[in-house]
Amino acid sequence: MLRVEGAGKSFERILFEGLDLNLATGERMSITGPSGCGKTTLLRCIAGLEDLQDGKIYLDDIEVTNIPPEKRGIGLLFQKPVLYHHLDVAGNLRLGKRDADVHSALKEVGLDGFADRRCEKLSGGEAQRVALARALLAEPKILLLDEPFSAVDEELRSRLLNDTIALLGSRGTTAVLVTHNIKEAESFSKNIMTM
Amino acid sequence: MKRKFENIEVALPFFLFSALVIIPLLLALDRLIYVSGKMPWQVFSSLDEHYLSQDAIGFTFLQALLSTALTLAIGIPIAWQLGRYHWPRIRLMRALLTLPFVTPAIVAAMGFMAILGSDGFDLRGERSTYLVSLLFAHAWFNIALVIRFVDPVISNLDPRMEEQLRLLPAGNSRWGRLRCFWIPLMFPSILCAAVLTFVFSFTSFAMVRWMTPSNATLETVMADVGGAAGIENYQIYSNELVLASSTIQFLVLILALWLLSALQAKRSRTIAEVSESHSRKKGRTGWLVLIPALLFCLSPLMAVIRSSLRVAERGPVISHRWTLEGWQSAISGDYAYISIIDALQNSLGYAILTLVISLPLGWSLSSGIHLLEKRGSYWAKPLDILTMLPLAISGVMLGLGILLGIIRISTVFFTMWWMPAIPHIMLSTPFVVRLLLPAMRRQDPELIENAQVLAMNRWQILTKIRMPLLRGPLIVAGIIAIAMSMGEFGASWILVRTGAWDTLPVLVDQLMTRPGFDPLVKPTAMAAASLLMLTTLILFLVAERFRPDGDGGMF
Amino acid sequence: MNSKVVLVTLIAFLASISGCLTGAIDDKGMMIDERGVEVPTERVLTIVTYDIYGLTSERIMEFTNQTGIKVEMIKLGDAGAILNHLLQTKEAPQADLALGLDNTYLQQAIDRNVIQSHGANISNVMESAWLPYNGTMAVPFDQGSICLNYDTNSINSSQGRDVPTSLWNLSEEAWKGKVAIPSPVTSSPGRAFMIATTDYFANDDDETTNWTDWWSAMVDNDVIITSGWTEAYETHYSGGYGVWNDDHIGDANFVVSYCHSPGVEAYWADNYTISTSLTLDRASFHQVEYATVVNGTANAEYADLFIEYLLTEDVNLNMPIENSMYSVLIDSGLPADNGYLYHSELPSLNAQVSPEEIAENMDSWLAAWEAAMV
Repeated sequence: MLRVEGAGKSFERILFEGLDLNLATGERMSITGPSGCGKTTLLRCIAGLEDLQDGKIYLDDIEVTNIPPEKRGIGLLFQKPVLYHHLDVAGNLRLGKRDADVHSALKEVGLDGFADRRCEKLSGGEAQRVALARALLAEPKILLLDEPFSAVDEELRSRLLNDTIALLGSRGTTAVLVTHNIKEAESFSKNIMTM
Repeated sequence: MKRKFENIEVALPFFLFSALVIIPLLLALDRLIYVSGKMPWQVFSSLDEHYLSQDAIGFTFLQALLSTALTLAIGIPIAWQLGRYHWPRIRLMRALLTLPFVTPAIVAAMGFMAILGSDGFDLRGERSTYLVSLLFAHAWFNIALVIRFVDPVISNLDPRMEEQLRLLPAGNSRWGRLRCFWIPLMFPSILCAAVLTFVFSFTSFAMVRWMTPSNATLETVMADVGGAAGIENYQIYSNELVLASSTIQFLVLILALWLLSALQAKRSRTIAEVSESHSRKKGRTGWLVLIPALLFCLSPLMAVIRSSLRVAERGPVISHRWTLEGWQSAISGDYAYISIIDALQNSLGYAILTLVISLPLGWSLSSGIHLLEKRGSYWAKPLDILTMLPLAISGVMLGLGILLGIIRISTVFFTMWWMPAIPHIMLSTPFVVRLLLPAMRRQDPELIENAQVLAMNRWQILTKIRMPLLRGPLIVAGIIAIAMSMGEFGASWILVRTGAWDTLPVLVDQLMTRPGFDPLVKPTAMAAASLLMLTTLILFLVAERFRPDGDGGMF
Repeated sequence: MNSKVVLVTLIAFLASISGCLTGAIDDKGMMIDERGVEVPTERVLTIVTYDIYGLTSERIMEFTNQTGIKVEMIKLGDAGAILNHLLQTKEAPQADLALGLDNTYLQQAIDRNVIQSHGANISNVMESAWLPYNGTMAVPFDQGSICLNYDTNSINSSQGRDVPTSLWNLSEEAWKGKVAIPSPVTSSPGRAFMIATTDYFANDDDETTNWTDWWSAMVDNDVIITSGWTEAYETHYSGGYGVWNDDHIGDANFVVSYCHSPGVEAYWADNYTISTSLTLDRASFHQVEYATVVNGTANAEYADLFIEYLLTEDVNLNMPIENSMYSVLIDSGLPADNGYLYHSELPSLNAQVSPEEIAENMDSWLAAWEAAMV
């Protein structure tokens, strides 16, 4: 499904080089490491938001290294949820799928009845769950998660992570989680890469 | 007790401001109604009955609407390039691109004439080009508004907003991103700029006077006949024309300001949090927009300087020679009552007086509105609009208002040298408020609360905390107030009475309208215009250094 | 609360602030506080005028040196603005002397009691300058005749563009859109020319049409009406100095100016001009500009002194050069240098309209003009 070969990137210093990665369809993996080690940058390179200096990226055996992000079919959850405040919750979900069944999508992430809420009124955890529902509606080939729940407190974080794992599992979504928390990495996937 | 004190603190500046703005206008209105013997709604038809004002209503709307459309068409791509990409010397570029807005219109008009004239594009021979040239002149003047409103929205945007969209189906095409994101994001800001552009085009005076000499707008009608208004049993029609023009103008502009206020609230909602510093991309093709834009902005100004350095060689062949004689005669004051140096001193004097009053007044007004907003008071919005009211009153209307208003009180005020500063204060205070209020809104309330906990008194909080924190916006507001005062022409033209008080714009006009049989008159006028423009440029470049990053509000 | 009280309080407040300001800032030039506080003992003459170009600062200085009287200027746009100012400040006159009311405005100023008799000793003013008005309320200081000027290069018989022999020629196809006239509503020369047309058409052979018909015909022929002389002459006229200016349009071959304007053109261009005047009988207006003492002034004596100064040979004989107008002194004339005199034609017969007639009819003429134009 996803294959990264000999990836290299430096920004003021070397972030990573000669990095290989292989992920089969439906599989999940976690990437851990101290902050500033280049985890986020690697995700951004896979998504196409940044260019690799060396190496190649393949999706379904097709090289996508130089293809713009919108043509790759990859989903990404940022550390801080990105919602569009000129739209309400339902409007944000429809960006993922135009004719989305908003109510059942919200139900899945435990936000039943939130469809008409204004985005600036949501808490951090609620906003990230909306972003997750939106990402899933888009049915990406791979979903990349960049420490998506780091902004919420410990107790809630593990619950949100478990809910997410359950959702991804039931749909068989291929996913990569970046986290500096080894426990989170362990509960997310057996496959763990340390940078 | 504290609350009561605050109430007085809020009420006092508003009381002063209203007195300054509204009372002269009410007195003037009263005078016009008394002399003409008619109420405002009874005189509208008089506009059509007079040669000098027929079609003025239609032409005013037509040129204002078209000017607005052209301004947006030119301004949006510029704002986009400035906001979205990384440019070397961006502050200088922003200052240069927004300089036209504070360039005195009379100087700009001269510059455009030079470009359009026989030495330039040679378009003046064809009357059908007049309207289009006026539209371009208005666009030139107002693109600064588009940049000031739209650029911050783009440049402060969290880049992840766009990145996220590219990873969602709705944003996988250019059009999709435009429709779902950029348009809704920029729309309120573009509309704000559009409304203000409309307002300034609607009340434009010097540009209309010079660019479309055969068309009248409501503003030029008032300027033409205003001088004879307010005198009993004398040219009664002039009272009717002024009354009709000012009433229509006032109603339209009030509507526009109300719209603007509503839009600004919507606009601030769509503006995302200022992002952490991020490296913006280098624009590769952007120079194709920015270089012509800079040329467009600077060429009328260059043309003025050029004209100041040439003297006509009269004879069968049209020719000019390069010389500094124009500057010499401007400095010696041979062609006017005073020299450009004296006029510059006068201008600076009025500007400082304007600053000394409008900055504290603008601060108190902003602070009052901000306090009311925090309390969720019903009064915040109307008072916010009230501070913008002078924008709805054009320079000529303001000058006439004060003139006619003062006739009602005592003509002794005609001899007071500070009279012409009043319209300057009225016109610059709204800009001060527009700069300070958004900055106050952005300020972290905890900083103030912290000071209160530290047992600082109100004065200490003001001088030790609030003012230093708002140092940037305060300096910018001060400089803008000075620049507005230096460039003000319409009201000064009506109120400046004694030759010794002549400000630079008034001197420029005086030299411009002087018969130019003597070939040195023209370059002398242009030298005065150049000095005015260069002074404004320096002020503006200084202001840009202190402009805080982020949303600068209206200006 | 009374609104007047509020404004007065406010103004007092502003005044106190500004007082500090002037004290703080270096004196020179900055809004000189000459009238008010500091100079009650000084002898000051205040003159209200439009830009009289002959009154340079040196000339004013000379008067002050001779008499010890300081001069201040209130400068306004034109003769009409001077009358407006005098009317507006009638209750509390601001000036002692008005320079620039002409014979189209003079009678209104007399009728409305804004000027008073002078006491100056005048003996050297020529007869013709006293023709429009011969009394003690006003003293002539310069004069000239207003008439049409035309661009000689535009005359081309083969294309049907001959020198007009009647004003009616200007309403013909050949001159469509080629005539620029300042509006009589907003401009003094425009007003003078309109007055001339009333007399011209009252005395032509044609009994069926009057002057307003001509103006209507001119509108149909796309006449260019401007708000002032400058716009008409400098911007629109193809035969004048505007040709060298950046703001030139040059779409008009005829313009209303002075009959001696071509002489002024030649004087400043080394005896070169393509402009000449069209001196049809009664199509020109003899304009005299007056010095008038403002009614109720406490300084009438200074005003008289200035009037006498204005009529000294030193000042008045320089009017042609410094103010582009004829002197009013006996035996004076235009200088011959650079073709000034040569290119300045004198009309053989000016329109014959007295100041009384003008004052009596001006409102109805302007209304008739408006009606003809709309």
